[in-house]
Amino acid sequence: MKPHKNSKHASGLNRRKVLKGAAATAGLAVGSGAVTGFPMVWAQALKDITIHHVGAPYSAIIDIANQANKDLPFKIEMQALAHDALRNRLVTQPKTVDIADTEYFFLRQLIPRGDVLQPVDLDKFKYWDQVVPIFTKGEYPDGRKVSRQGVLPYEVQYLGGADAKSFHDGPTKWASGIPMIYNADTLGIRPDLVKREIHNWSELLNPEFKGKTAILDVPEIGIMDAAMAIESRGDLKYADKGNMTREEIDKTIAILIDAKKSGQFRAFWSTFDESVNLMASGEVVIQSMWSPAVAAVRSRGIPCYYAPLKEGYRAWASSMSLMKHLDGIRLEAAYDYLNWYHSGWEGAFIARQGYYSAVPETAKKFMSEDEWGYWYEGKPAKGDIIDPYGNVMEKAGAVRDGGTFWERMGNVACWNTVMDESRYMTRKWNEFVAA
Amino acid sequence: MAQYRKRSWTFYVLATFFILFVLFLYGPMLAIYILSFQGPTGGLTFPLNGVSLHWFGALFEQQRTGDFAGSFTRSILLAFLVMICTVTFSVMAGLAFRRRFFGSTAIFYMAVASLVMPGLFLSLGIGLIFRVIDVPTNWYVSALGAQLTWTLPFGLLIMFAVLSRFNRSYEEAARDLGATNRQTLQYIVLPILFPGLIAVALFGFTLSYDEFPRTLLTVGPGNTLPLEIYAMTTTVTSPALYALGTVTTVVSFAAIILSLGSIAIIQWRRGGRFRK
Amino acid sequence: MKVPSSIVPYIQVAPLALILLVFFGIPLVTVVVVSFFDYVNFQTVPAFMLYNYEEVFTSGLTITLYLTMLKYSVIVWLITLFIGFNVAYFLVFHVQSLLWKIFLFLVCTVPFWTSNIIRMISWIPVLGRNGLVNQMLISLGLIDEPLDFLLFSDFSVIVAYVHLFTLFMVVTLFNSMARIDPAILEAAVDAGASRWQVITQIVIPLTKTGIALGSIFVVTLVMGDFFVVKIMSGGQSSSAVYAMWNEISMLQYPSAAASAVILLIVVVLMVVAILRVVDVRKELSG
Repeated sequence: MKPHKNSKHASGLNRRKVLKGAAATAGLAVGSGAVTGFPMVWAQALKDITIHHVGAPYSAIIDIANQANKDLPFKIEMQALAHDALRNRLVTQPKTVDIADTEYFFLRQLIPRGDVLQPVDLDKFKYWDQVVPIFTKGEYPDGRKVSRQGVLPYEVQYLGGADAKSFHDGPTKWASGIPMIYNADTLGIRPDLVKREIHNWSELLNPEFKGKTAILDVPEIGIMDAAMAIESRGDLKYADKGNMTREEIDKTIAILIDAKKSGQFRAFWSTFDESVNLMASGEVVIQSMWSPAVAAVRSRGIPCYYAPLKEGYRAWASSMSLMKHLDGIRLEAAYDYLNWYHSGWEGAFIARQGYYSAVPETAKKFMSEDEWGYWYEGKPAKGDIIDPYGNVMEKAGAVRDGGTFWERMGNVACWNTVMDESRYMTRKWNEFVAA
Repeated sequence: MAQYRKRSWTFYVLATFFILFVLFLYGPMLAIYILSFQGPTGGLTFPLNGVSLHWFGALFEQQRTGDFAGSFTRSILLAFLVMICTVTFSVMAGLAFRRRFFGSTAIFYMAVASLVMPGLFLSLGIGLIFRVIDVPTNWYVSALGAQLTWTLPFGLLIMFAVLSRFNRSYEEAARDLGATNRQTLQYIVLPILFPGLIAVALFGFTLSYDEFPRTLLTVGPGNTLPLEIYAMTTTVTSPALYALGTVTTVVSFAAIILSLGSIAIIQWRRGGRFRK
Repeated sequence: MKVPSSIVPYIQVAPLALILLVFFGIPLVTVVVVSFFDYVNFQTVPAFMLYNYEEVFTSGLTITLYLTMLKYSVIVWLITLFIGFNVAYFLVFHVQSLLWKIFLFLVCTVPFWTSNIIRMISWIPVLGRNGLVNQMLISLGLIDEPLDFLLFSDFSVIVAYVHLFTLFMVVTLFNSMARIDPAILEAAVDAGASRWQVITQIVIPLTKTGIALGSIFVVTLVMGDFFVVKIMSGGQSSSAVYAMWNEISMLQYPSAAASAVILLIVVVLMVVAILRVVDVRKELSG
């Protein structure tokens, strides 16, 4: 029996009873873990409700929907779409989505439109005071400010009012969305082929690895990784890597084109599998990578390391937002879903894939001590570390690359972004890829 | 005919060429077939980490692998719908185009442009129409329409090849003998066109089953298989993808051999006249 | 229930025309309109401006992309035509039994029922640096170092295109050749024509509709390619549509729409050029 299963059942069942109670006892305030409580007439109608959650494939995981359907009185339907498709879907067909699960920087495009999202009333969200301060205050627990290069989630977190089309500087009761999963990204390396320690982003451009490096071909993310490398090498100093001027974009792309023409890059990958295959096959020995991709390479018995670098990480975070058209009982159900989502089961589930939960305290309750120690506290695993599907991910004794939660999330250099010069940047990036 | 082609050397040259072509088609597929027998901890590339049927089992569970069962069903149903519409409408249109009628050039170029139109925009545009008329997009209306703008021109153009130098005197003879339009179609035209119809049907099915950009934003709340696979490739994927490829191939071959085999047996019982 | 024969074509063509009008016509008009719109603060704003087109025409990117795609189109077209012609010829004239014909034809189709994306990924273990081909060549002693050009290069892009698109040539050529009365070939052979003469003077002229249509398919497929180039070149080059997709995914509709209109015009002109050489519709009514 796997340890996490037991804990899941213990609290899961409990919660379910409470929920069913809540649906039956109209309007009664129930203890912790319960729903806001619905008027009697709604209890029946609730069964027929379907909340359609559309998100990126790494967060819209069918297992989470299945668990939600066990715990909640209404139905959750999940659809996984790649980011690019997702954005277009939200903007052109907003009514086909109830819960929008997107990256934070995209809120910068969505909120000003005013016709896609409605703000989340934080009075109805139970865990706001437990959300990590990166999101709620833009700070670390020790009071240090989080890097504002790129789109720091805090910058787009609060709205001035229920109908606001712009962001509010400083906390209000209106949120553009609730943070869900996030992580700190860095370079993946093949220690057996690199044969020395890697400490800097600049190694991506080091001629020593000519023809054996790769970067991510998503313009707004790829250019950030490139900028990290270029800045680390000392070619350029950016005011804000996440919001470059045209001049900075030009210089960055020129350096990239030079590198490309000299044969520095083996490939530019755009899907998870490509990055895994490039690394596993040895085509590439150092590249920008995602955390589960590193795990996927390692699970094949091939050494791969998610190197913590001096300049810090490029971080990203997803938010869960409410679509504008939700109202009445469906809106209440959506709030219930948000509360369920952050009540711990989901946080524990994604932790086992290497992602962090916005409310780690609740996730902890659904994780074994060893799991919590490995994923969040950077401790050596006492037993084997199991992924959400029951496969062994790491053997006993392994330590998470990069260490503890705060060693990783506390060292963020920049955030995924959309630039003011986004249109110009996309065009220049296309020129780079075609060059 | 038999005399003209009596297993001459060209037969062997072309047969070899054909075999090489088939090997080329199936070569990379072979990697897929082998890798689908990966052990439970195996990945998407060589080497094999043990041998198992694990990933075939995973296909039928609604776990990790995404919603394979749901998206596969949707894709197959959609492909059949597209196939039926494509065959019916492009055969009809193909017959119409045998004469010049007012507007025929316009329609022809509309079909050509429709073939060329970048699918992503088509998808966006159709999504927008459905938003304006306030009808939710779904796979059986909006996605069907989107895919037809792609399969119909294909069907139509293949009909051009099928119908070129089609001898219209058969039809005229039938009509002179008092056959109705429908009878002419049913007993004269369609039997002659049969191999062409198979080609159009296969194309309609295949193009739809693998369609990506046009379906992307018209599919509504449930993904088709290619969308599900695309979404999966941006996150943790598994050899279940390959298992699906293997199962598809095996099932297709079983279906082909069964249906052709039974036709062969029926014809052989009727008197062995299935040689042309 | 006799319908006047002059109306028959209209009834026959109506479903196709209506579907295209609604599902293609309206999006087309939308794209053209949006291509003149402005893009401000991440939003598409109604306007009438030529800036989007100006940007496309003045950018070096456009030329690079179109030249690359054109190069791929021509090479892939020649290869698929050669393969398609021979395969179709074999199936039509050498395989006698209709059942065998259909069976072999289906054998060519089955790989297409496995997703494109998966099939492309499957080339990587074959062509990669440590892939099957390189290992084979090294063990045969033909090369010492693995060949890098096999994967993530023009070579692998073309291999993938040929792999994906030859069937389109085969189908049209097959159908075209199947309409040739074998008696004509027999007569020619009886009259002393050589095989080569039969092919160049009878088969090719009689299959020119098929050749033209197959060419249209291959050319439009390559020019409109979304991600074959992308994946098989390892992201080292791009296609016109992929560049557009990068814009669309950031919701930059106006500039992408302008590129789409231009692509549409360029490719339609290419098709018109093919039709200038072979008037497929004339063959039809002939």
